[in-house]
Amino acid sequence: MLNYIADWFDDRTGFRSWLRPFAEKPLPGGARWRYVFGSVLASVFLIQAFSGLMMMTAYSPSSSTAWGSVFYIEKQMWMGWFIRGLHHFGAQTVMILLLLHFLQVLFAAAYRAPREVNWWLGLALMAIVLAFSHTGYQLPWDQKGYWATKVVTNIMGGAPVLGPYIKTAVVGGAEYGNQTVTRFYGLHVGILPVLMFVCLAAHVALCRRHGLKPPEGLAAKASHETYWPDQAFLSLIATTAVVGVMVAMILYEGGAPLDAPADPSSSDYPARPEWFFRFLYQMLKHFPGKYEWVGSIAIPGAIFLTMAALPLLDKVVSSRVLHFFACALIFGLAGGAGYLTLESFLEDHGKPEFHAARVKADAERDRALALASHPDYGVPPEGSGFLMRLDPLTRGRGVLEAKCLGCHRMNGEGADEQTAPDLKDFGSRAWIRGLLENPGSDAYYGKTPECDGMVDWKKSSHLDARQLDEVADFLATFAKIPAEMNVDEWLNQPGVADHPGAAAFEKECGMCHIIDGYTDGGLREAPGLFAWGSPQWIARMIRRPDAEDRYGYLAEKQRMPAFAAESLTDNDLKMIVRFLADDYLPPTESSKPTLAAP
Amino acid sequence: MTRRDFHRLGSLALGGLIKLAVAVPAVAFLLSPLRKRGGGGSEGAGTEADSLANIASLSQLKVGEPRSFPIVRDQVDAWVRYPREPVGSVWLVRQPDGVEPPVIAYSAECPHLGCAINLAPGGAGFHCPCHNSSFDREGKPLNKIPPRPMDTLDVELTKDDDPRVLVRFERFQALAEEKIPLA
Repeated sequence: MLNYIADWFDDRTGFRSWLRPFAEKPLPGGARWRYVFGSVLASVFLIQAFSGLMMMTAYSPSSSTAWGSVFYIEKQMWMGWFIRGLHHFGAQTVMILLLLHFLQVLFAAAYRAPREVNWWLGLALMAIVLAFSHTGYQLPWDQKGYWATKVVTNIMGGAPVLGPYIKTAVVGGAEYGNQTVTRFYGLHVGILPVLMFVCLAAHVALCRRHGLKPPEGLAAKASHETYWPDQAFLSLIATTAVVGVMVAMILYEGGAPLDAPADPSSSDYPARPEWFFRFLYQMLKHFPGKYEWVGSIAIPGAIFLTMAALPLLDKVVSSRVLHFFACALIFGLAGGAGYLTLESFLEDHGKPEFHAARVKADAERDRALALASHPDYGVPPEGSGFLMRLDPLTRGRGVLEAKCLGCHRMNGEGADEQTAPDLKDFGSRAWIRGLLENPGSDAYYGKTPECDGMVDWKKSSHLDARQLDEVADFLATFAKIPAEMNVDEWLNQPGVADHPGAAAFEKECGMCHIIDGYTDGGLREAPGLFAWGSPQWIARMIRRPDAEDRYGYLAEKQRMPAFAAESLTDNDLKMIVRFLADDYLPPTESSKPTLAAP
Repeated sequence: MTRRDFHRLGSLALGGLIKLAVAVPAVAFLLSPLRKRGGGGSEGAGTEADSLANIASLSQLKVGEPRSFPIVRDQVDAWVRYPREPVGSVWLVRQPDGVEPPVIAYSAECPHLGCAINLAPGGAGFHCPCHNSSFDREGKPLNKIPPRPMDTLDVELTKDDDPRVLVRFERFQALAEEKIPLA
């Protein structure tokens, strides 16, 4: 039956006569392991194309959706980690096989007549593969892809004369964003595959025309072995071994890596290229910025052109001498590249700053993945860039560190000289109870100039521990007062005026702290305590420390500086408030907050 | 078996193995949406399956007069979580006093092919503009186009003085003669 169908198709299409000449052509010297490289490479290309097509059904190219869709592929979809893993490790496999294939063809001097055109096609394919690698690296729009793209496109931009124009055209503008993603995506899944297909088809067709190049001395020996099934068997053993290694890598790594979403504002992301570009990365360090293009464009370009010119030089220079020099050149370059790669990894290995930055980046990655996969959080509609910007633990802590911990402390940590209280648990019962116990300690007003009111009160107060507990209980309820409630409404609520701590609060705290319509103050000046510790109280404290109901009575240079909307966005303010109130998804072990050392 | 036969069989076996290693995960990947997840929702557009949507108060409804209300709730669309997003609408019809249940909720999704059902011109019943499905005020089909009556949804009333109307919003399979809930 199957034969009948095949016969019918052959009758109408002649497909057998199209396949036969190649499949049944005798191989010079018989089937050999040295012929497998091209076939294995083609197989891995096919896997790349296929796994890429699979991911196209789930990937969404824009700066706000790319990371989320890749996260979804990697962490939520059935076998998504495996498909993406195949593509990730397949890309690296292609690089290795390409290098081996190139070396093998060079050593066999297969650039000589009549294979010149196929040599050039091979070089073109090499360039296309490099372009695939660069454009694909960026598509997840994570930290790694973002910074790598920035570096590579800036290298392009550094080329003399045309560089800046090329860069702007590739990036799609001066800024990296939606147009960058769509352009790279279009290149990666549309333009490059078409170029690749055309070059690869021609490459294979020419290979069939010329036959595989036999090693010297074997050409004369006749053999009965043909491509199918003898060489195909060897090629498939090799392919199975290579794919086996890829699958082992995927299982070992559990998929492909995905960093935290791209954050153009991060200042310490340790961007490194994929290992096979490490030598270029390292070489660039040896060139002064102005001559960067020599290392990044001129030298690789010259090597590439030399390789392309080999078939032509072969006609004018002695073939043997040229071959010797070409091989020596590539050996020398391989040695140099190996040295640079090693140097680069050793340099990072010896640098504590690099390790610290990597640990931080890993913690951010874990946090991003935890947030995105949590049923109550997920990627916000604004896009994956907001995943971290709307996370109090990440953003709130970050802003607090940058803007507040120059004077304040957080659990004893901070930079510069402390001139303000510790903010750990600010607004909570624990904080206020500690203050009532020992206002002069460093965690409270011990190091805060001009704020000795609480210390003076403590000296004269006779409240016992139980009464202080009650006052702390009462004050801790203030943080829950809703923003739209006024003092009268609050006092009329059950459990407020008759709270066990209310009387002592009114009598002692109310001597200085004014709550309009409740306590009169008057003894000395102090901030208002209505809704103390609530988001609205803290927000006003940050925006308007000079207000009458905050610290307006202090001289300006003694006061906390005001943070207006220009220096602190509404979102950042909200993130600080929520961070102080511990209002965020609790961190897992690996994404525990670590404050930067001062 | 000759050497060539061995090569032929070996090639077919290894080729098949490689293709399977790629094809099986790929099929699983493409069929991801069919995979049921812990909460009972499907992987695609997940929603809070069993939650009641607070839609209106009873006093907003006049007896016998259908009124349309949007269903607004948190929506998970693949990797994105949308808070408070309109996901559909329902028709509420208040019944005369003493009749149980006091409010009937009809899904506005036509049981034919899922278009949005509107009031019929003149208000005599319901009408779907896509393929002219017609229903009377009780949601019964008036022509042969819809496969079943309009889908009723579970309704609960709160104990307030002016009770709130809570509706359990669900989707059902189109074209089926029975109400088959979509997971």
